[in-house]
Amino acid sequence: MTIDRIRTEGEVEYRFTHPDDFREHVRDRKGRSPVPKLVTAKDAVAAFVADGDYIVYDFSSLTRGPQSLIREVIRQRKKDLWIGAEFTLHESPLLVGAGCATRIDVGFLGYGNYIGQAVCDGRVKAYEWTNGGLALRILAGARGVPFLPTRDLLGTDNMKVSAATTITDPYTGDPICLVPALNPDVAFLHVHQADVFGNARIFGTNLFALEAALASFRVIVSAEEIVETDEFRKDPMRTTVPYFLVDAVVHAPFGAYPGAMPARYEIDLEHVDRLNAIRNDEQMGNYIEENIYSVADHDEFLDRRVGAKRMRELRRRATIVEGYR
Amino acid sequence: MPRTIEFTDTEFMIAQGARLIEDGKTIFVGWGLPQVVAMLAQKLYVPNVTQLFEFGAIGPQSVLPFVRGTMGGPQNTFRSLQWLNMNWAFSYSATGYMDYGMLGALQVDPYGNINSTHLGGTFAKPERRFAGSGGGNQVASHCWKTIIVIKHEGRRFVPKVDFLTSPGYLDGPGAREKAGLPRGTGPHRVVTSKALFGFDEKTRRMTLLSVLRGLSVEEVVKDMAFRPLLAPDIGEIPPPTDDELRVLREEIDPARFIIRGEKMTAIT
Repeated sequence: MTIDRIRTEGEVEYRFTHPDDFREHVRDRKGRSPVPKLVTAKDAVAAFVADGDYIVYDFSSLTRGPQSLIREVIRQRKKDLWIGAEFTLHESPLLVGAGCATRIDVGFLGYGNYIGQAVCDGRVKAYEWTNGGLALRILAGARGVPFLPTRDLLGTDNMKVSAATTITDPYTGDPICLVPALNPDVAFLHVHQADVFGNARIFGTNLFALEAALASFRVIVSAEEIVETDEFRKDPMRTTVPYFLVDAVVHAPFGAYPGAMPARYEIDLEHVDRLNAIRNDEQMGNYIEENIYSVADHDEFLDRRVGAKRMRELRRRATIVEGYR
Repeated sequence: MPRTIEFTDTEFMIAQGARLIEDGKTIFVGWGLPQVVAMLAQKLYVPNVTQLFEFGAIGPQSVLPFVRGTMGGPQNTFRSLQWLNMNWAFSYSATGYMDYGMLGALQVDPYGNINSTHLGGTFAKPERRFAGSGGGNQVASHCWKTIIVIKHEGRRFVPKVDFLTSPGYLDGPGAREKAGLPRGTGPHRVVTSKALFGFDEKTRRMTLLSVLRGLSVEEVVKDMAFRPLLAPDIGEIPPPTDDELRVLREEIDPARFIIRGEKMTAIT
């Protein structure tokens, strides 16, 4: 069988881990015993996120994104991060604007005026995978295989600027696209409920929460609410990730702010507008100083920059609860 | 009694897009404008259409008004038939269950190839950089019929896209299949703020089918950087109806975030 490689190997930089290396990490470094893992965001990010890491997260700055963890990464001034930006919105501009991220695997590059200019200026490298391509890479990482085939990406320029490969499918004889597995260093998941061991529940849709937790070397869960383990045993259909995938649990009410947490609080569109309006480094610097550097942590951010009145209002606006309970 | 109605080019584009959707079919809906088109269609014309979103909401009955900028938010996923995630959402299109896909675009070429990545320069050093594919590539690759919704501006209708993000008919007949894309798929209609286009069966080139009532073919074609084929009998598209405008303005987008645009008039 001829293997027809259209792309030449090594032309485009990509993150890849041999599945056996990942398995050995799981064997040796991931604990199986249900020990309490409740820590502060500061401790979780200090312990589990290193300079140069590849980070992936579920959902976006507008809906159930891990915004308190992203802000903590910025506060700790992590460097040279590579972001898996599936459906990313304001996370990419903030991480690039703060000098934390230098590479982005793009599904959706980001929202607002700032990030496109950063790419044009060459301040951040972008690789095009598409949302479906990145989701499949994470699924491959989660299935312990080196790649998965797909019938999209074919025929497009995305093929030339990612490390996707076209070969001849041994079964049909047609061209088929392969995407390499992705095993990020860290996954962030913001969830509705978690217990102290890391069992976690998302109510509503997700992008690839379980896949990302399975595929990543380290997993930080931030949760609106900490509940008893018994809650999971009563309704196991609703468990999104089991505790042994998770390295740290952070209690973070309003952790998705300024985005919406379905059934808990609504999106703060006025705050989002401020993010969208950022056009240059000065505005970005001001935003980051005011909302991230000048407050010690997420609680102080909520107290001083959001306020109890605003939070009450956003909670009141979250009128859609059907399906989320 | 004939009377003059006022509307924006965007309102017209949304209204004519909504009229194209068939009831009882499935449609994979892209970010932004396509969401509004699908909402208007479902509200007025096709109550039994099943919308699918890439973050895994299947068959939602979205709460109005539309919350600008959001797609995965609770309003947009309300009363879905199923909630899943992205790998599963794309499974529904990959196996052929999605009749229609609907996407916006920065640029489109005569074969319906879509650019949503960058304008000008090169990929490594673009003049202007945009969001990229998102899930658009998967929608355009796998849905049976893709509808592209795009403002009618010369800089958007180009002989060759600056970056081919989502596949149309690539470089002509048979090219999709040769590249490995599923048989029988591809762009179906291009809905613009002035006209409606299809694709010629033989050459797969974009073909002008009809124009907004009151516009001439020349007025439509002069705003394109390539010359489309012309259907033998070019039809006329009625302007937005009172109902379409009312639902758009009062129920879907009262803040006029999406529907604002260039003012147009028509005699009705």
